[in-house]
Amino acid sequence: MRTNTRPRPAGFLAAVLAAAALLLVPASPAAAHNSLKTTTPAKNAELDTAPTEITLEFLQRLDPAFTTIVLSDAAEQKVPTGEPVVTGAKGTISIDGTLPNGTYTVAYRVVSADGHPVQGSYAFAVADPAGTEAPAPTPAESSPTAEPATAPTEPGSASPVAATDNDGGGGGLGAPAVMGGGILVLLVAGGLVLLLRRRRSTT
Amino acid sequence: MTGSGPRAVSRRGLLAGGALAAGGALGATVAVTAVGSDNPATRPAEMTPVGELGLAVESFHGTRQAGVATEPQAHAAFVALALRPETDREALGRMLRLLSDDAARLTQGRPALADTEPELGLLPARLTVTFGFGPGLYQAANLDGRRPPSVAALPAFRIDRLSPRWSDGDLLLQICADDPLTVAHAQRVLVKDSRPFATVAWVQQGFRRAAGAEPGRTQRNLFGQLDGTANPKPGAPLETAVWVPDGPAWLRDSTTLVVRRISMNLETWDLLGRADRELSVGRRLDTGAPLTGTDEHDEPDFDALGSGGLTVIPDFSHLTRSHVTEDRLRILRRPYNYDGVPSADGTADSGLIFASYQADITRQFLPIQRRLAERDLLNEWTTPIGSAVFAIPPGCPEGGWIGQQLLG
Repeated sequence: MRTNTRPRPAGFLAAVLAAAALLLVPASPAAAHNSLKTTTPAKNAELDTAPTEITLEFLQRLDPAFTTIVLSDAAEQKVPTGEPVVTGAKGTISIDGTLPNGTYTVAYRVVSADGHPVQGSYAFAVADPAGTEAPAPTPAESSPTAEPATAPTEPGSASPVAATDNDGGGGGLGAPAVMGGGILVLLVAGGLVLLLRRRRSTT
Repeated sequence: MTGSGPRAVSRRGLLAGGALAAGGALGATVAVTAVGSDNPATRPAEMTPVGELGLAVESFHGTRQAGVATEPQAHAAFVALALRPETDREALGRMLRLLSDDAARLTQGRPALADTEPELGLLPARLTVTFGFGPGLYQAANLDGRRPPSVAALPAFRIDRLSPRWSDGDLLLQICADDPLTVAHAQRVLVKDSRPFATVAWVQQGFRRAAGAEPGRTQRNLFGQLDGTANPKPGAPLETAVWVPDGPAWLRDSTTLVVRRISMNLETWDLLGRADRELSVGRRLDTGAPLTGTDEHDEPDFDALGSGGLTVIPDFSHLTRSHVTEDRLRILRRPYNYDGVPSADGTADSGLIFASYQADITRQFLPIQRRLAERDLLNEWTTPIGSAVFAIPPGCPEGGWIGQQLLG
């Protein structure tokens, strides 16, 4: 909850309770959501030869209208590819040119059968002994083991959207987040008690 | 708990309200309704004092009908009538003279002729009655050649699950006011006087926030989204988008209306996390700002890239699919929420009475609707269950009646 245009006690309480509720409600129906099963190239693969296409296989059928796969280089520049070709649960993009050596990020955004968007990314590297080096990116992050900026989605783990900068807490929460949520709820409860006592004493 | 109720209503405000309302001039407001805020800076500056809400008047006569560019009132009833087979051009004239007279009186705070509950006609609360002509009315009058070409049944969309219960109709009465009792009375009077000429095809009743609750703010629908952010701004943009600028007398200063009943599946929407909701809409839920901006009216940046090179605003978002930049392609949305009775197991019957005004349905509404039907993720949680189109004919001068340019 970021903008509460009318700061007043009731509004504040509502905001706090809403935030607590968001943390308490688990992002649970994950089992029903689509998620990445296998990828070619594999996650964190180090390839001797540059790939000509990228295939992502998901647990559920893909809808071509709601399937996006993009490839970026270590400088976060988009690499020219074709549009995703969807067959069943697989989406494939062909790479226009030959990839120079370097680290690449594959990002995807698809939709589950129940309409929930799922997105994530993973990295792979090209290290062709005979290949060309990619121009060094300005942020020095060209090591083949570099993780992409966002936590990559583990293939097979069914986690809904958590990759964008939306901080609303809708996506898959890990165990630490749940524990943090529990602590927050305790804090909120304590705060409520204090607040109510204070109000009682002032009115 | 002293902080949350309305503050004392000043007597002066009430008296001034009574005195001013006759002329409909409500400029000099004595602010009285501080809504639970102790900070003057966060208090909306211009709030209509309580006593004036009931007495506030929107004019009925004019070159254009009210209820289109009018700041939306809190309550609405969309009443669609089906003409009886014997209602021809001449009978339509009699009917519309009668209904125009009712509307002219009630909107100005005067009871209708032979009003059986005259006390209910005294608080107009910005009542407007807007007349819409469906394709069937032109046929009944044997004047199909005068029907605006885009006023015809919409093509079928793949997302549609239309029911006759909420679709079509020959004559629409859009009744809006800031008071639900005023709407109910106006509906009763108008339906009663329509009986010799028509039957009731359907009625859709809807609401927004109470008058004065959130002045000047874009309305929220029952998904919690701001609804209507992309409307053309008052002035030249709205002129271009909404009003027919020229043509014969029955077209000039007219517009068109699309009414669609959109069922919103709160059961499945509630399973969607906040971030996912914002991705499907392309906007933040709290501010209504595009995912690339901070303010509701920030221009969205569809090319902005986020993590891993994905666009920040998904290409399947409602915002992306409905976005237009030219005023002549915009639609003026004036929607109302509906909230029926939940079923025994608690399943909500909620949704939106989508109402959009545009000079030309084919030029403005259809391209947007096609793009949405094709690839808007929001379709996962929304279903159009009713659809109707109407011409909104020009207004009428004092002593005139709506439809006189067409039928007279």
